[in-house]
Amino acid sequence: MQLLLNALIAGSFAALLASGLSLVYGVLGIFNMALGQLALVGGLTTWWLVSILSLPLPLAIAGGILITALTTWFGFEFFVAPYYRRHRFLPLVTTIAFSMILDGLILVIFHQEPKTIDVGTRTLLPVFDALISSQQIVLIVLTILFLALLTWVLVKTAFGRRIRATVQHPTAAESLGIRSSLLHRIVFIVSGVLAGFAGIYVGIDQNLTPTIGFAITIKAYAAIIAGGKDSMKGTILCAYLIALLEQLSIGLPWFGSYIPSGYQSTVALLVIILVLLIKPQGLFGSKTRIA
Amino acid sequence: MKKALSLLSLIFALSACGAKTETIRIGYIGPLTGDAVSYGVDTLNGAKIAVDEVNAAGGVNGVKVELIAEDSKCNGADSASATQKLVNVDKVVAIIGGQCSSETLAAAPIAEAGKVVVISPISSSPDITTAGDYIFRVYPSDALKGKALAAYFLKANFTKVAIISENTDFCQGIRSSVKKDLPPGVKIVFDENVDPGTKDYRTLMTRLKDIDFDVFITNGQSDATVAEMAKQLRALGMKQQMVGTDTADSATLGQIAKEAVEGLKPLSVPMLSEADVAAADFAKTFRDRHGEPKATMFFAALAHDATRVLLQEIGKAGSGEALKDALYAVKDFTGIAGTFHFDANGDVVGIPLAMKEFVNGMLRQSEIIPVE
Amino acid sequence: MNYLLHILTMIGLSIPNILGYNLIFGRGKFLHFGPIATSLFSSYAMFLTLRETGNYLSAFFVGLLASLLLSSFFAWLALRLESDALGILTIAMHLALLSVVLNWSSLTRGALGLPQIPRITGMLSLPVFASVSIVIALLWIFFMVRVHRSWLGRELSALAENRAHAEALGINRARVTLSAFLIGGLGATITNTLYPQYIGLLHPNDYQFSNLIFFILCVVAGGPGSVRGVVISIVLLTSLQELIRFLPLPLGLIGPMRLLFFGLILIIAVYIRRKEIFPMQRSV
Repeated sequence: MQLLLNALIAGSFAALLASGLSLVYGVLGIFNMALGQLALVGGLTTWWLVSILSLPLPLAIAGGILITALTTWFGFEFFVAPYYRRHRFLPLVTTIAFSMILDGLILVIFHQEPKTIDVGTRTLLPVFDALISSQQIVLIVLTILFLALLTWVLVKTAFGRRIRATVQHPTAAESLGIRSSLLHRIVFIVSGVLAGFAGIYVGIDQNLTPTIGFAITIKAYAAIIAGGKDSMKGTILCAYLIALLEQLSIGLPWFGSYIPSGYQSTVALLVIILVLLIKPQGLFGSKTRIA
Repeated sequence: MKKALSLLSLIFALSACGAKTETIRIGYIGPLTGDAVSYGVDTLNGAKIAVDEVNAAGGVNGVKVELIAEDSKCNGADSASATQKLVNVDKVVAIIGGQCSSETLAAAPIAEAGKVVVISPISSSPDITTAGDYIFRVYPSDALKGKALAAYFLKANFTKVAIISENTDFCQGIRSSVKKDLPPGVKIVFDENVDPGTKDYRTLMTRLKDIDFDVFITNGQSDATVAEMAKQLRALGMKQQMVGTDTADSATLGQIAKEAVEGLKPLSVPMLSEADVAAADFAKTFRDRHGEPKATMFFAALAHDATRVLLQEIGKAGSGEALKDALYAVKDFTGIAGTFHFDANGDVVGIPLAMKEFVNGMLRQSEIIPVE
Repeated sequence: MNYLLHILTMIGLSIPNILGYNLIFGRGKFLHFGPIATSLFSSYAMFLTLRETGNYLSAFFVGLLASLLLSSFFAWLALRLESDALGILTIAMHLALLSVVLNWSSLTRGALGLPQIPRITGMLSLPVFASVSIVIALLWIFFMVRVHRSWLGRELSALAENRAHAEALGINRARVTLSAFLIGGLGATITNTLYPQYIGLLHPNDYQFSNLIFFILCVVAGGPGSVRGVVISIVLLTSLQELIRFLPLPLGLIGPMRLLFFGLILIIAVYIRRKEIFPMQRSV
């Protein structure tokens, strides 16, 4: 039971990141390698607002998200916009450059020490035979709500339809008057905002160090690859599934003994490898691109 | 054009090598970039304070000391480059470094060949003992930690030990020493290794909850990971005593995990003892100039002592082989971290250990562990 | 003087591996992000064997075999998968391999690495080592120029530009891909025979993802597929990395500055070369 709860906690985090990534891939067809760093920007800015400027938490979160959105926008203009129409893979390399620059800036501004966003004492609540803190429950619930909102927007609203139209056939969509470049910007910034939330999540639940950027990005990719790059629901589901898999593989004994826990993150990597070998479109993806 | 310019400036810079000024130059190698940067920054600052002290007192035999720092990024390749530069371009007399064990090991053959003494403040790998005649270190052997913890377990009547270690040379060294020196009657009931930098210990803690243990060793590489181990252990309701290593000896830890580390006892050096004026002075100087240490004051103190003993012997013996022999001959050097000398392999003997305790987010001295 | 020789050696040592990678990524446009995985696998196989047998010949053979095996696997993957999937999968393999090396410490000594790697007799001094590495690098450059001008180079470019047309012309995609990856693997083996010897230490810290970024930077800055361009960029970028040591920067800033600097170089290089890196696909 505890393992399930742990999976919920870790999975929510991965789901936030991966859903943004999935949006970006679906609409722009590109991969953003600077996602982890954007998450850090969100988390660290919020930390700074809470600890240094002593702002109340909601305001600090808003501030963190704002800064992340601005940073993502900046990244888009300089590291994505000039390249993504030219070829789908150029942004893979350019976002690597973006991630390096962000890493450097983060180190200069925030230094190396771990930082945690203080939200008061943690009270533990029992759920069956497991324990979870009140903050974690809030975080999980908020994440699920957020993701549900996102999916609803995509499927039910006109805006969402426009996005999906751009995915299915960019040229046709444009000829119908849908301004795809604006849409692209919005989608990219939204993915950055989601990453920012994920960063704040980590800041509250664990702590933030400047070097986690890359590891976070890889976790998000595992979810996307497994779930199918173009299926948002599949991605979110797989984020939780992979988290569950990680918990189970280390938490339960297999054939009598435990797998060395150093391999916990390798689980995500193995998932990537296996899925790509067996079903490259992902568990929920399909061969043609649909939203 | 840009490329030509950079090539030109390279030639320029290299042609400046060999220019001698009237100073004694010592080098520093450490991770000033990357995951291990907190160790680099602390040890560099500790060494800097030592150099400033010596210069303030007139230098070594009247000559000022110059510290040249190089970034080795905690890997062998960059350490080799850094050592090459220090030995061949800057022509340093000796090197304080590396910090990561891979740095020291990579620097060793180059320093040996150049007859340049190397004193590492914090490298802990057992391979360094046999790395060379010119290679010394002031980091107390992990074997001592194992013995100290064993003594503590006996005293506190703990018989079942749980330990989670990060997969780095530093943590693995401590883990093997703990296992080796376990007193009879004491067993390790939970022994897991995680990827360096892991922050999510929830699965392991879930397993640990079902295990009967008395004490938990937070064998992490940094205060960030120790914080998470502690927090997640307590979050699942486990109330057993926790013990840590030098990485837990960090003021930041008390800030980011105040409730969780309450009662946690890091095994480190008796640094904050009020009776020790020199230590208090050093800590104050450090804080005034550089703020809180990024890793722990202990590492800065070790770097400081390494530099001081080095400079003292440079004053007597100069450099090269004579310096090496002089260092082996040091009887008892009293530094901030303790009174020590070097054994035949260049490993340090004599730095004492002490157990501290977190009370209300602050570190207090708990007990001194006598070391043979 | 010695420091210059050291830089020359580092340059010479990197050339086989990066030029091999240039063939795969630069010329063939395969999104192969796993050359460090090949290097890691090959060196551990090689030097663990060396520890057992003490014999460099057998060690080299084992290392070569390991490298060729992994390269064939990568080639097979490249044939099966779309480019972006290949990219992600090779990154995953690299990280997974690192994890195995770190965790399987009974085999690999984990985080302690393999220290005290002996140099092949005769190569003990720096000038000799430098000369040997330069000679090997020059031979390899010569070899690669021949390869690029041969059928392999031409067919690789053709496949990269338009797979359907190339195959219609009778180009055997499997043969071309496999050959490219195997040559890359050979380059990796050569570099990784000499490199750990030179430093005297084999440690997972030297095989991190940041090394891949350097590879990509060299290939992109030099002009993907161009042997001369990539060699020049290897020379300049390696020197630049060392040159940064001479800049009088406040020490807390060296690390971040390096990241910023190389990130900037990468984005500028990509911008300048944006037309060449990936040929423009013609769509409707």
